[in-house]
Amino acid sequence: MDRNKISKWLKNPGKMAHKYSFHVVYFCTGCGIIEIPPSITARWDAERFGIIPVATPRQANLFLITGYVSTKTLKAIIRTYEQMPDPKYTVALGSCPINGGMYYDSYNTITSLDKYIPVDGYIAGCMPRPEAIFIGVTHLWKLIDMDKADGYKRYREDYVHYRANQEQLFGELEWPPLFIKEIVK
Amino acid sequence: MQISEFILSPLLALIIGIFFLGLARKIMARIHWRYGPPITQPVIDIIRMFSQKAISHGSIFNFGLIFSLTGSIVVILFLPIGKMCPLSSGGLLVILYLMLLAPLGIALSSGEAANPNSSIGVSRKFLLALGYEVPFLLILLAVMAHYHTISLIEIVRIQANTGWSFGSLPLVLSGIAYFLILPAILGMRPFEISGAAQEISSGPKVEFGGKFLAFSTIQHALHEFIGISLFVNLFLGGWDLFGILEPISNTIWGIILGIIIFLIKMVIIFIIELFINAVFPRFRIEQAMKYLWKWPTLLSFIGLLIVVLFN
Amino acid sequence: MTLELLLIVAFGGAFLTYFLGKISSSLRNGFAVLNALALVVMTAFLYGQTVEKNLHFGFLGMPFVLRINMLSWFFAITIVGIGLLSIIYSLKYIENGKKLDFYYFTTLLINASMLGTVICGDLISFYMFWEIMSWSTYLLISYKGGDKALFAGIKYIIMSIIGSLAMLVGIISLYTHFGTLEISTLAIQIQGASLNYILFILIMFSTAFIIINAFWPLHIWLPDAHAEAVSPFSSILSAVLVRKGMYGLYLFMYVILGLNILNRLKFGFISFTGVFCWIGAITIVFAALTALLQNDSKRILAWSTVGQGGYMILGVAFVTPLGMAGGTFHILNHCIYIALLFFVAGAIEYRTGGIRDLNSLGGLIKKMPVTFIGGLVGIFGLIGLPLTNGFVSKWLIYKTLILGNRPFLAFAAFLGTWGTVLYGYKFIHNIFLGQLPEKYKNIKEVPFTMRIPIIILTILVFLFGILPGIPLKVINAIGISLGFESLDVTLWGIASETGTLNTINIFAAILIVGIIIWLIFKAGRKAPKVDQYDNYAAGSAIPKNKYNYTVDYYYPFTKMISPYLKDIFDLFYTKIANTVQKLCNSTRKIYTGYVGSYVMYIVLFLAILILVQLKWGVF
Repeated sequence: MDRNKISKWLKNPGKMAHKYSFHVVYFCTGCGIIEIPPSITARWDAERFGIIPVATPRQANLFLITGYVSTKTLKAIIRTYEQMPDPKYTVALGSCPINGGMYYDSYNTITSLDKYIPVDGYIAGCMPRPEAIFIGVTHLWKLIDMDKADGYKRYREDYVHYRANQEQLFGELEWPPLFIKEIVK
Repeated sequence: MQISEFILSPLLALIIGIFFLGLARKIMARIHWRYGPPITQPVIDIIRMFSQKAISHGSIFNFGLIFSLTGSIVVILFLPIGKMCPLSSGGLLVILYLMLLAPLGIALSSGEAANPNSSIGVSRKFLLALGYEVPFLLILLAVMAHYHTISLIEIVRIQANTGWSFGSLPLVLSGIAYFLILPAILGMRPFEISGAAQEISSGPKVEFGGKFLAFSTIQHALHEFIGISLFVNLFLGGWDLFGILEPISNTIWGIILGIIIFLIKMVIIFIIELFINAVFPRFRIEQAMKYLWKWPTLLSFIGLLIVVLFN
Repeated sequence: MTLELLLIVAFGGAFLTYFLGKISSSLRNGFAVLNALALVVMTAFLYGQTVEKNLHFGFLGMPFVLRINMLSWFFAITIVGIGLLSIIYSLKYIENGKKLDFYYFTTLLINASMLGTVICGDLISFYMFWEIMSWSTYLLISYKGGDKALFAGIKYIIMSIIGSLAMLVGIISLYTHFGTLEISTLAIQIQGASLNYILFILIMFSTAFIIINAFWPLHIWLPDAHAEAVSPFSSILSAVLVRKGMYGLYLFMYVILGLNILNRLKFGFISFTGVFCWIGAITIVFAALTALLQNDSKRILAWSTVGQGGYMILGVAFVTPLGMAGGTFHILNHCIYIALLFFVAGAIEYRTGGIRDLNSLGGLIKKMPVTFIGGLVGIFGLIGLPLTNGFVSKWLIYKTLILGNRPFLAFAAFLGTWGTVLYGYKFIHNIFLGQLPEKYKNIKEVPFTMRIPIIILTILVFLFGILPGIPLKVINAIGISLGFESLDVTLWGIASETGTLNTINIFAAILIVGIIIWLIFKAGRKAPKVDQYDNYAAGSAIPKNKYNYTVDYYYPFTKMISPYLKDIFDLFYTKIANTVQKLCNSTRKIYTGYVGSYVMYIVLFLAILILVQLKWGVF
């Protein structure tokens, strides 16, 4: 953890600030939310890394998709993701967002989250323990250092495809497209 | 000297306010037997918030926050910090009225957000303010009537000559009442209703993101600074520590030591408030108002009566 | 020459407008505006003159005196100014109403009679103008017709008549005692009267003035009257008409009685002015807390008018130069921002088709930005935010109270301010902020002639807040003419030996800091504007028309307070009125219309007379 290296702060304060101040959207999307309260309370203290949950997506920059994603929750996830301010990062916990996991053949869940919102990284496990979540966060720091955690940029550039995938799943969407210019062209 | 006071005063308030935010998180974490974030965590948060691209809901959304932060900084310009006090026309009345700018600004901003969570948050914030203003005004009137002046600098100067207000007999009850309502003025538990994260999704801040949230955090820090520094100035003697600064009173060292003593008093009061914050839950708004209009009001009313009869 | 001309133009213009209306409506409108404008110009030319004119064609052999000095000029300029703005505002507002000739005639008549009350110099013409003012106000309060408007009008006229009759008793008593009713002669002759007699006279006259100014025990007509009157008239009512009570109190307490008698009017430790101060304090607190319970946009403003009157009497009845300056300045400031707020409420009414219910509006800032700025500045002035005119006058009043060792009165005044913050924000939030309902999506901004008064009054609020020296010079002159010592008035504030107020410091600080913060704000990443439906709702869709918190805005507090905050005087007076009505109703029943019962009455009466004659031999 290079939080104390002042020279890096002076070179690129935005990037360093993003690494050490993850405000997580407190949205429990699935079964994995049971692992989050232990991570943020006294035993596995996540606040020492600057991770703290906040009330609304407008104030957040990290979205943890904790577990399987049912189609009903996916609408809320997409709306919440679009309300977060740029730059934002998404980390998916468990195997269900990768390939459907235990519910691969369910009528109600989706098998690949990356088709609908961009995911920066996955933490394997069913559910990953708090130690695994912390290791995942350190990997996210490395990705941010290498400028590879660019899910939000991918969402803007490929919005046409993301929107098409969303519409294929849901039919007509109640919310207008987020980036109009991309749709129009 | 004068221009430097204008720049130094708000800068000092900003640094100390943000330091208080970090200190709060660290001490709360230690009380919870955790390690907690570093004390510079609010700085990291604010830098990160400034680098995010928020949305706005209209021009009053932008204007309200600018207005509220301006209000807070202008109050700082009128407050004596140690011996520094850049502006002083009008005294305590002007400070009281300028303190209205900040909540009104936030109220305008969050009103335009068109979210009922923020509307409820603002209504609770104003009701809480009505709740603590009743004993607060009685306390301020007792102090102003006791010292026969409306100028805060005068009050601090008189305390330097005659001892802290908390120790002077007619004002003891008012001091106790002030200490009882101090959590409400600062917005700390048990009176944290207006910014409650769980009940109303952080109240007025629900649609603030990016630079708006950064401004809101800075404004909160300044508001805490103002709340505690008013208490220290009115009741704990400001920059005075039983007269040890008498010999070097007008030199640059006197001024610097005065500021340091002032800040130490503020830190002690803040840590006591944090201890109260750590163990209490939040009151509901009607419980809060009933409490604030019962014991603190009674104590401050009797205090004012004592001051009026004493003179 | 010019004083009679003023009255002739005022009254003549009113009558002429009525007749011109029969010819053409735009001619009448234009003439009404020109008349009001002429009055403003003529009054402006009278600035600084102290004239007393004795015209010998008076009533009942008494001379008709006209006079103008700084005090009269101050009140006169507010009357004609607000009158002009109201006429301009009502050009478009009342365009589609009925009986328009009658409306313009009555408005101009009210202006003229108010002008008459302030520039007359003897009590009988004061009483005459006062009565004309009362009656025409009644006509205009019940202009809209219908149950509620008529009830409001009746409530007003009954209370006003009671006040006027008390005033008449006082006038007759003064005439029999001193033989003259000219104010300047009375001022000299009354110095020798006994204190008890002076107290009697003061109570008689003060009843009338307390009723018109709507202080606490006698305020009950004001909320109904404001809520039911048409908006341009509501602004005149609130801004200048109720302050005629204040003018009357000035006339009596300061001009006629003078400072010596006022300072001697004590009975034990209760002094006459002390009672007024407490009435003012109770009015402030009671009105501020009751305003929180209201749900009608004009009723909130009506209760606000009641409350702010308390500030004025607190300042004026304190009999010190600073207090007098504060109270008088507050009269001017209040008249500016309450007129502004009533214009704003009227604009909302105009565009939404008469909606005054705060529970059903919302989000109108997106469609009516100029009206919003007007409402916001009005509310800032009402609260007394620094840089607005309300702050300066309130600062003066507070300073008087604190340094005059009356901290409990100061506490009541401060509490009033916080009540004002709450109901002021409720007013702004429920109308302009929050979610815009779908049915108001196509509302437009108010027309230009309705915007002019709003813009002018907004500028005045800030002008008198940043440069309070301009009106303070006039007020200082008033104070000197009433016998107080002069205050040290500068362009930016007041410098007195116990602390100065320098609005230039506050203004410069707010401006410079504001610009710096704004530049920092601009330096951040640009924040695009999004629709009101792109909002946080925990991931769900935003329901249209329902995602708004306006009903019962301060519910926890109103639930706590409303059992204790009943308007007991309103219930008391209504009960008296109902009892009298029942009594009269049952007395009416002796007229049965049946001749047999009349014959029985005659026979019974004769029998009683015979009995009396037989028993006691009276005849």
